[in-house]
Amino acid sequence: MADATKTEPRRRIAPAADICEDKGKVVLRLEMPGVEKNDLSIRIENDELLITAERREEAADGVYLIRERRRADYEKRYTLDDTIDRNRVDAVMKNGVLLLTLHIRESSKPKKIDIRMA
Amino acid sequence: MRVMRWKQRDPFNPLSDFEQLQNEINRLFETERYPTMSGLFDRVISPEIDVVENEDGFVVSCDLPGVEIGDIDVSIADNVLTLKGEKKEESHSPDSKVYRRESWSGSFQRTLALPKAVDTSAVGAVMRSGVLTINLPKREEVKPKQIAVKVQ
Repeated sequence: MADATKTEPRRRIAPAADICEDKGKVVLRLEMPGVEKNDLSIRIENDELLITAERREEAADGVYLIRERRRADYEKRYTLDDTIDRNRVDAVMKNGVLLLTLHIRESSKPKKIDIRMA
Repeated sequence: MRVMRWKQRDPFNPLSDFEQLQNEINRLFETERYPTMSGLFDRVISPEIDVVENEDGFVVSCDLPGVEIGDIDVSIADNVLTLKGEKKEESHSPDSKVYRRESWSGSFQRTLALPKAVDTSAVGAVMRSGVLTINLPKREEVKPKQIAVKVQ
C-alpha cells in the first residue's frame, strides 16, 4: 500500500456500508466512489476482513470554487465469526460500489427437525 | 468567489445554534454521511460537489456511487446547470434481514448558475466508477491569451 512517491499520508475514511443477510449469505455493499477494481484490496486474516481502497483521482488542476467532497482513501475492518465460510467470498465492483458476498457455512445453518405425531 | 452551502436558521428555535454546532461536529467525525436536503416543496437530496476553475474552463464533479447513467440528467437552460436524477435503493427480498444501512437513496438535484464565460454548446459529462464529471469549457474569446512581447 505504501507508496514512496507520496509525501503526505492520505486520510482514510470508512465507506458508507449496507449490510444485509439473505438466504445463507451476508451481503456487504460498500460505496466507494472513484475507486476502480485495481485500486481495491480485500484480505481476510484470521478473523478479520480488511477492505482498503485507494482513490486514484488526479488532483484538480485549477482553483476550487466549491469544495464539498471528501478526498480520502477508504478503509474498513470487519470481524468475522466462525459461521462465515472464509473460502467463499465473492466480490463485484461496479459504478463505485463494492458488493461483497460472504457465504454462511452449511454446518452453521439451522436445521429444521420435523416433529411427528406419535 | 466563495460559495457556502445555505443553512436554514430557525429564529424561533433557541437551540438552532446548538443543533448546527452538533451537525458540524458530527460532520467532522464523519458520523453523518447523509447529504443535506433542499427545495421548498419537493424535498430533494443535494449531493456534494466540487467545482474547479482553470484556464480552459470549469469542472464539476459529484460522487454518485451505484447510480446508472440512465438515471442521471444533466441539462443547461439559461446559463443554469441542473444536475438531477435518482439514486435507487438496492432491492432486497422481503425475507432478508437488513443489519445496517448507511447509504442514501432517492431523488437528488443540484443547480448551479454558470458564469457567462461558459460555452454551453460544448459541455460534456462523463460517469466513471461512480463519479460524475462535467466539463464546462470557456469560450475561446474569454480564455487568457499569451502575447509575446519582443524586446527590441
